[in-house]
Amino acid sequence: MANAKKSHALPEGGQWPDAIAFWAVLAGAVLTTIGFLMAFLYAGPVNGASVDGMPEMIGGQMVSSKLLLSQKIFYFHMPVAIVSFGALAFAGYYSVRFLMTKNQRYDTCAKVAMEISLIFVVCTMITGDLWTRFEWGVWWTWDPRLTTYLILMLIIIAYFVLRGFIDEPERRSIYSAVVSIIALVDVPICLMITRMIPSSIHPVVLREGGMTGDMGMTVGVCMIGMILLGFGMYRLRFRQVRLAQRVQALKDELEEN
Amino acid sequence: MSVVLKTPSTFQQYKTLLRKDLEQEFRTKEMITSMGIYALLVLVVFGAALGQTTQALDLLQVSGGLLWTLIVFTSLLGLNRSFNHEKEQGCLEGILLVPLDRSVIFLAKATSNILFLLAVEVITVPLFYFFFLTAVTPGESFWLLVLPLLVGTIGMAGIGTLLSTITVNTRGKDVMLAVLFVPIIFPLLFACASATTAIIVGAEGAMDVFYPALLLAAGYDVIMLLLSWVLYDFVISA
Repeated sequence: MANAKKSHALPEGGQWPDAIAFWAVLAGAVLTTIGFLMAFLYAGPVNGASVDGMPEMIGGQMVSSKLLLSQKIFYFHMPVAIVSFGALAFAGYYSVRFLMTKNQRYDTCAKVAMEISLIFVVCTMITGDLWTRFEWGVWWTWDPRLTTYLILMLIIIAYFVLRGFIDEPERRSIYSAVVSIIALVDVPICLMITRMIPSSIHPVVLREGGMTGDMGMTVGVCMIGMILLGFGMYRLRFRQVRLAQRVQALKDELEEN
Repeated sequence: MSVVLKTPSTFQQYKTLLRKDLEQEFRTKEMITSMGIYALLVLVVFGAALGQTTQALDLLQVSGGLLWTLIVFTSLLGLNRSFNHEKEQGCLEGILLVPLDRSVIFLAKATSNILFLLAVEVITVPLFYFFFLTAVTPGESFWLLVLPLLVGTIGMAGIGTLLSTITVNTRGKDVMLAVLFVPIIFPLLFACASATTAIIVGAEGAMDVFYPALLLAAGYDVIMLLLSWVLYDFVISA
């Protein structure tokens, strides 16, 4: 019965964004590489300090050259973190759309967006942890943003574990939509709660106006690159999953006739 | 002579569903005994874990966190069981056949989970005090502990009801509930543990931590309960 309904509306075999998806990935890769080079060659260290092996005085604090270099992680860390949360927001949006329409296409969208979000969250955790190690001198601390990202990663993993544990496709898509909406609401609350209770040691970069023009430029290039990468990867993966569904639907249709 | 047919009000439906759960519990005493004994066993494990450190360690600092560890594990056990007997004998299908607003089921189920958890806490918190806090002197306003316990229990039972409805239909439900439940209630747990630790330690300015933490936990409760209430219809109908 369900198959009869599906045979009238086959999953589509590609849409216009697929044509630019590959180029988006390529442009993203090129831009992030340029951003990587810019971070070391173009953007100056914090407050015009120089990396010459001698400790520098910044804001009344002695800062060693190692710290000035590890600050470069920031140029990748922030864009990756923003893209990961953006992908989660898209997954939440598609989940709401799915619950509204019960259209299986939105479920696929949400699932693929979650996959992209997981990749970027893991990258955020890795870059963030390197930062933590060199700037704060510890491998792990229960700082609000670290905690929030750990929780976010665990919820996304739980989302995929849940998908793996349910056999019926319709039930699976409804449950996972509900979980991803809860995740989207839960993560900002988590940041707010962990942040408002104890004192934070995370640098608040933009509010203090601590970025110069060349640094802003580098972050901008990395940001655009990461967004393009995220979008391109999303489209490529989506097309792959969608085409697989189309093949399955065609097979079912052939078996019926 | 005429037969009067009256549609029961939503509140009556809620009361009936809640009474069903409570009656079942009074007859079997399944939840309270299993959760109570489990909580006692967790306390014993804490005793072993802290066996060597009690003298040196400031027990006041960790006891707030330990208490919440105990509550999370106990509520996981309770939430896992709460939908199990609905599945047996097809009780859930029966309820779904009744023309009632599905969110009433959520409210009734969440209320019964809150009541069971509170009943277990009434037994275990004094036991916790007896085992770990009699040797040290907790802060003056120790009795305020009731507030974070209440707020935390409401939040955990609320979101836990939604999650256990999801996981009861999956393979490996016990594991799945823990995998979903722990990260999602993390903010609530963090806020409640902070509030509890603040008043147990009772240092100067404890109230400056206690009230904001309690308020944030209450905010989490409100948002998450509303969200679960809205989403429950989709979950239970799936």
